[in-house]
Order: sequence, then structure tokens, then C-alpha cells
Amino acid sequence: MDKRIWAIGGGKGGTGKSFVAASLGLHLASLDRPVLLVDADLGAPNLHTLLGIKASHPDLGDFLINAVPSLEHAAVETPYRNLRLVKGSENILFIANINHYRKLRFLRQLRQIEAPNIVLDLGTGSSFNTLDFFLSANPGVVVATPEPTAIENTYLFLKSCIMRVLKLYMDHYKIKDLHQRMLDQIEKNSQSLYGFFKSLMESDRAYGTILYRALRGFRPCLVMNKTRDERDVLLGRSVADVARKYLLIDMKYLGAVPYDEDVQASLRELRPFYVDHRDSAAARAIRQMSEELAYSIEFTLRTPPEIRLPDA
Amino acid sequence: MLKRIEDWNYYELLSVERTASQDEIWAAFQASLATYRDGSLALYGLVTEDERALVLERVQEAFQTLRDPEKRKDYDLALLRHTPYVPQKAPFRRSVGKVEIEDVAPTKGLWARVKRLFSRNP
Repeated sequence: MDKRIWAIGGGKGGTGKSFVAASLGLHLASLDRPVLLVDADLGAPNLHTLLGIKASHPDLGDFLINAVPSLEHAAVETPYRNLRLVKGSENILFIANINHYRKLRFLRQLRQIEAPNIVLDLGTGSSFNTLDFFLSANPGVVVATPEPTAIENTYLFLKSCIMRVLKLYMDHYKIKDLHQRMLDQIEKNSQSLYGFFKSLMESDRAYGTILYRALRGFRPCLVMNKTRDERDVLLGRSVADVARKYLLIDMKYLGAVPYDEDVQASLRELRPFYVDHRDSAAARAIRQMSEELAYSIEFTLRTPPEIRLPDA
Repeated sequence: MLKRIEDWNYYELLSVERTASQDEIWAAFQASLATYRDGSLALYGLVTEDERALVLERVQEAFQTLRDPEKRKDYDLALLRHTPYVPQKAPFRRSVGKVEIEDVAPTKGLWARVKRLFSRNP
């Protein structure tokens, strides 16, 4: 069975990561396949509140401090069919800074869990833990809003992901001296990533190819949330295009989720928006998003091998 | 496709296929204008003003060429002579041979020291 781990992340707070994660979880659960929602926002979890569920044990914290044997045991049933939730931990304050081994255990268990769809709701910012969760998932979805602050942080988040991916490969292939060179160069300007690869290709083509392939293997998706008009929708397309050109990554624009006043109202009533407003434009956009992605993944699997034309 | 923005051909610049119709090129041109216009949000925090102006100029140049069937034909021929056309791969592909975080041995900490002690080539 095909298993998919979705990670919903992004650089800025308040862009609607948890909203997208909750709605996506509810939509995928309505397709009659079990879904596990995981609140991996270690610092400020509130996915349960969006689903109208009270904080209680067991939660992710219990798993991380070994109070429950596995992540499966930390999941609780929700009032919604096919949907289970691993709540974020509110009680254990130091849990936001989990160490490397706890992180690995968490990632390993995520992969072992038997659920066709796992949706991770990630925290704000570019801490190593957040980046690693994001990079382990496929697809990773970046949520942004049409504001300069959000756009700025989206690029910062993507750059951090890129650095993390490249560092991972450098460590794996034991080419650590490159790391400082990359850091020095990437700070400079927007085309610096290109400059870094260009000079690397000239000095060491083999490593350059490895790292470039690693970079191209990072394929995040973008969702523009809280859009108010056609211009905002286009902005998402532009951001993905700019990321493709300047950050050299294969970014896919999944679409826009229109701004809806009812999201706030649902939140105040502690009811999930997606359940109460199934026919709203925002809910339709969420459905379309997941179908779009499912389609392009399906499409990929059936794509015949590339045919190269003879050199002219 | 590791190229500077200045080296992108007109199709790459507008993010369209080489087989794109006139309507597709028009739509792509409008989208590119929105991306690279003065004060565009999409470039915020990433692209400088000089670079933006340069790309916008090239976008307009690209559209002027591709909208005219005659000019486009000449451009296509020149392009084909220079680089053969390879159709775009699927829009979303799975990563093959991805290195997972677990594959990378930690460099710090007790476990790393113990492992190094017993590894064959420390």
C-alpha cells in the first residue's frame, strides 16, 4: 500500500499551518482511508484545539519521554471517522529541544506506523528539528500568506531546508570542508546558490553532481493561504517560480486557500472548520490541493522513461 | 539545468514548454510581469532591484520574440541548433537515492566516540 507522510510547515507563525493540517487530515479521513494527525509543533502545539478536542494524555511528550512504548500508543481516537491524533505536549516545557536520538526514534516510528496517510503539523521557524521533520516527509507543504513578512520567511525557510539537505549529503559523503565554503557564499546574494554550484562543478565535478542531485531531490509544495483576490493567487505561482529559478529547487504550487471569516468563528466555537463548512471555497480548495498532488504523484509513476533526442 | 538567469532561454524564462501555444505564452507573460513588476511581493527578501529590472527587460524581450510567429521560428531554429529539445519530465517526481537523516552518523556525543573506536577506518 502506498504510504504518504505529509508535513505542513513554513517560516512564519499564523499563516495557517495547523488549519491546513487539520483540514487536510479531515479531508483525507473522509476518503475512507485511516489518517494519523501528529502535532509536531513541539514549542506551541494547538492542533487538538482546532479539532475541538481537549488536551489530555497520552500525547507526543509521553512518547518522547518513553512513558508510552510507541507512537501508536500515543495516538488517541477523535470524534471523526478514520482520524486519529497524536496531541502535542503542553505540560513538558523542555520538550521543544529534543535531542538527536529522540528525534530519530520519532522519525523511525513515523515510518513504521501503519496508516496510509500521516499528516505532521510542524512548528514555526527553522530549528533543526522542524527542518528534519519537514525533510523526512513526502510531500512537504509550505504554507505562506500574501504578506511581505510571510514571503520573506518562506524564502528563509526554503534556504534553511536547502542548507540542511546539502549539509546532510556533505556529512554522508564526508566532504565537510565544503560546508563553510557554502555558508560563506550563500550569504552573499540571491544568485549565490548558483555561484556555489558553479564553482563547485569547476573544482570537483563528482561532488558537485552529488550535491546538485540532492538539491533537486528536495521537492517542496507551496500553498498560499488567506488569499483575498486573484492577485494573491498569482503571487503563489510567482513565489514558486522564483524559488525554482533562484533557489534551484523543484517547487510545486498546489494552489490557494481563500480567506474565510468563518475560520475564526469556527475556532471560537472549538469546532473544526472543514466539518462545518464543507462546501465553502476554502474547504473546496483544500480538497483540490490534495487531489492535485495525488494526481501528479500518480502521473509520475506512469511516466515512461525519458527519451533523449540525438544531438543536433 | 544549472544556469544563470541571464542564460535562460526565452521558454525557460517564461516557464513554458517549447510547444506552448500563443495563449499559453500570453498567460505566462502576464504571470511573469506580475512576478517581476516594480515592488513585487514575490521577490521580497530574495532578489535585488537591479536583478529584478534586468529580468523584467528579458521577459519583455522574450514575449516580443515569441508572440511573432516568424521571429519565433527563427529563434526556435537557433535554439535547436544550440541545444536539443528534451521534453519536460513529470512535474512531481519521487526522490531516488535520498539520504535519510538516520544514514548520517553523528559527529558529536558519546555514541559517535564509541562507534569511531570500533570502526575499521577511523
